[in-house]
Amino acid sequence: MTPLPNQRAPKTRAVARRLGGHVVRGLVMIWVVTTISFVIIRNIPGNPVLGQYEKLIEKGMSPDEAQRATAALYGFLPTGTLWEQYTGYLKALLHLDLGQSISTPGTEVVTLLASAAKWTVLPVLGGTLLSFLLGVTLGVYAGIKRSGKLGDLLSISGSLLHGVPQYVIGLLMLAIFTTLWPILPPGGPVDVEYVPGLNAGYLASLVQHATLPVLTYALASYGGWVLAMKSSVATVLGDDFILAAELRGLTRGVLFRYIARNAILPLFTILALSLGMLFGGAIFIERIFNYPGLGLLLVNSIGARDYALMGGTFLVTTVAIIVANIAADLLYTVIDPRVRTGGAA
Amino acid sequence: MTTLSHGPSGSPGSHSSEEGDLVAGPAAPPPPGVRVRDLVVVYKTPLGELPALGGVGLTVDPGTITGIVGESGSGKSTLALSLLNAVQPPGRIASGSVEIDGLGDVVRLDGDPLRRARGRHLGYVFQAAQNSLNPLKTIGKQLLDLGRSHGVADLAALVRDAKDLLGRMGLDGARVLDSHQHELSGGMRQRVGIMLALVLNARLVILDEPTTALDMITQATILRIIREIHKERGLTTLMITHDMGVAAEVTDHLAVMYGGQVVEHGRTTEVLGSPAHPYTQGLIRAIPRLSGDITKASALPGRPPTLGTLPKQGCVFQERCPVRMDVCATVAPPPVTTHGRTVACHATAAAPPLDGRKEQP
Repeated sequence: MTPLPNQRAPKTRAVARRLGGHVVRGLVMIWVVTTISFVIIRNIPGNPVLGQYEKLIEKGMSPDEAQRATAALYGFLPTGTLWEQYTGYLKALLHLDLGQSISTPGTEVVTLLASAAKWTVLPVLGGTLLSFLLGVTLGVYAGIKRSGKLGDLLSISGSLLHGVPQYVIGLLMLAIFTTLWPILPPGGPVDVEYVPGLNAGYLASLVQHATLPVLTYALASYGGWVLAMKSSVATVLGDDFILAAELRGLTRGVLFRYIARNAILPLFTILALSLGMLFGGAIFIERIFNYPGLGLLLVNSIGARDYALMGGTFLVTTVAIIVANIAADLLYTVIDPRVRTGGAA
Repeated sequence: MTTLSHGPSGSPGSHSSEEGDLVAGPAAPPPPGVRVRDLVVVYKTPLGELPALGGVGLTVDPGTITGIVGESGSGKSTLALSLLNAVQPPGRIASGSVEIDGLGDVVRLDGDPLRRARGRHLGYVFQAAQNSLNPLKTIGKQLLDLGRSHGVADLAALVRDAKDLLGRMGLDGARVLDSHQHELSGGMRQRVGIMLALVLNARLVILDEPTTALDMITQATILRIIREIHKERGLTTLMITHDMGVAAEVTDHLAVMYGGQVVEHGRTTEVLGSPAHPYTQGLIRAIPRLSGDITKASALPGRPPTLGTLPKQGCVFQERCPVRMDVCATVAPPPVTTHGRTVACHATAAAPPLDGRKEQP
C-alpha cells in the first residue's frame, strides 16, 4: 500500500532537487559536446588561412601581399598545439568569450550570434507555437472523430503536410505570395528604409517580412502535431477512465477536457525539444527567404571554415536543447502529479 | 436538475436533505427493479454482425443483490453495459428492452437524458484492476466534476456526503479527496469507485468484477462493504463476477450466463445447491475444494464459444453438453420458470430436477 505523502511541501522541494541534478548534468553535457565539436571542427578538411590567402590572390594581389594581409588578418588565431588551443578555448569559454569571427573580420562571435538569434527566434518561435496550437487543437478532433469524414480530412492534411519537405513548402509559398499574387516581400528581415525601433513603419515591415517564414514553418510542422496529437488522443480514448467518466454521466465538456489534458502531456516533450532545436535555426527557410538567422549563420560559417563562429553556433544549439530538456522535465513535475510525487502508479 | 421522471414515491435524494444520512429513510423511494426483455446486442466484425447477447431475458427483483456469473466471453459485461445503454462500438443494442423503475426503457434513452441517468440513477463500479479515475486530477476535483455535470447546486454538501461515504468504508475521506489515483492502493481506489457510484444517490448499482485483482483480505473487505452499503442505502445491486465463491458469499440471486444467454437464474442457494442446467452443474464441479481431493475438480470439456463459434441454431451449450438430446441441435430451449427458478434446457424441462439434488455419476 502506498502511503499518502504530504503533498504540498515536497512539491517545491522535488522541483529544486530535480533542478539541481539537471544543472550539474547539463554542464557536464555542455562540456562533452563542446569538446567533441572542437575536435570535429579542427579536423574538417580545409584551412581558413589558406582559403583567405587564395581568395586574395584571386582578387589580384601578389602572393607576398596576400600573405602579409592574411597574417595581419589572422594574427589573433591560436597558434599553439591542438591541446593548447583546446585549453585556451575552454578558458575563454568560461569567460563567455567565444573569440572573433574569421569570415567577418574584427567582429566578436557573440555579437554575430546575438544578432542572428533575434531573427531566428522571431519566425521559428512564432511558427512553432502557431503550428503547435493549431495542430494540437485539430489533432484532438482528428482523434475523437477518427472514424468520420472530418477526422479523415484532418489526418490526410496532417500526413500530407508532414510528408512534404520544408523547402518545397517554402518555395511554393514564395512562388504564390511573391510572384503569382505579389502581396508579400520575397526576402530579407525588414525593409532598410525604416529606422529600427518602435515605429509603425518598421514594425509593419517586420511583420510583412516575417509572415512567409512563419507560415512556412507553421505549415511544415503542423502535420507532425496533428498526427502526434491524434494518436495520443486515440490512446487516451482507450483508457478505462474515459469510459468510467462517461458512465458516471459527466458532460461532454468535462470529458473533452479529460481527454485533451491527458493526451497533450506527451506532446510537451516534443514541444520543448523543438523549442530547443529552433536555436539551430531553420536552415532551408532562412535560405529561401534570405532571413539572417542562426541557420544561415551556421551554413555560412561552415562554408568559410570559421572555427570560432562554428563553435559558437554549435554551443548555442547545445545549450538551448539542454535548457529545453530541463524546462520540459520541470514542466512535468508541475503538470503531471505522478511525476511530482515520484509515484509508482 | 434532472428532467427525468422518477419512481412513484418521489424524487431522488437531494444533497441538502439527506446529508449524512446513509440509511435510506422512510421517504426514500423503493429500490428499482430491472426487467430485461429479449435483449440482442451485436458486434460488428469482418464476418458481419455477430450476437454477443442473443435475446437475454432477466428480471431483477427490487432490493436484491443479483450475481451474474459466467466465463469470459459469456456476455456478462456486455449485459452490464447494456443496463446503462453504454455498449461500446463496434457493438450495438439491436433489439429488446431494459426497463428500469423510474427510468423506463433505457434502450430508448439517449443524449442528455441518458447522460443524466448515468451517475444519478445508475451507479457503475469498475473492475479494481482498471483505472477508472483521471490520473491528473485529485479525487475531490473529479467529485466536483461529477457534481457539476449533474447540476448539483450544493457542492459543499456533495463533498460532505462523499466524505461520509468514504468514512463509512473505513477511509479518511478528507485525505482521499485530496489524493491522486496513483497515491491510492487498489482497495482504496475501489472504495472511491463505489463512493462515486453512490454519492449522487443512485439506487441501482452495477459492479463489474469489483474484487478482481484485489488480494484476499481486501477482497473480503470490499465484499463486506458492498453487502452493508446495499442494505443501508436500500439498493438494487447487480454484480458481475466469474468467481463462484464471491457470488456465493454476497448474492441473493444468481444468473448464470453462457454464450450470450442467461441459462439459469434463481436464488443463489438453490442455484448453487442444486444446479439444474448442465452448464451450471459443470461450472460448480470445476471448483477445486479447499479440503478434499483436488482431482475431484474437473474442468468443463471443450471451450467456451466465441462470437464466431456460437451454434447457428439450437442450444448454445449443445457442443459441450453431457446430456444433449437430438432436439438441442435444432431448437433453442426456451427459459422455463418453476418455483422462482428459470432454466433454459430441454433435458431439464423433460425431467425437472428441482425437488432434489441432481446426482452426477
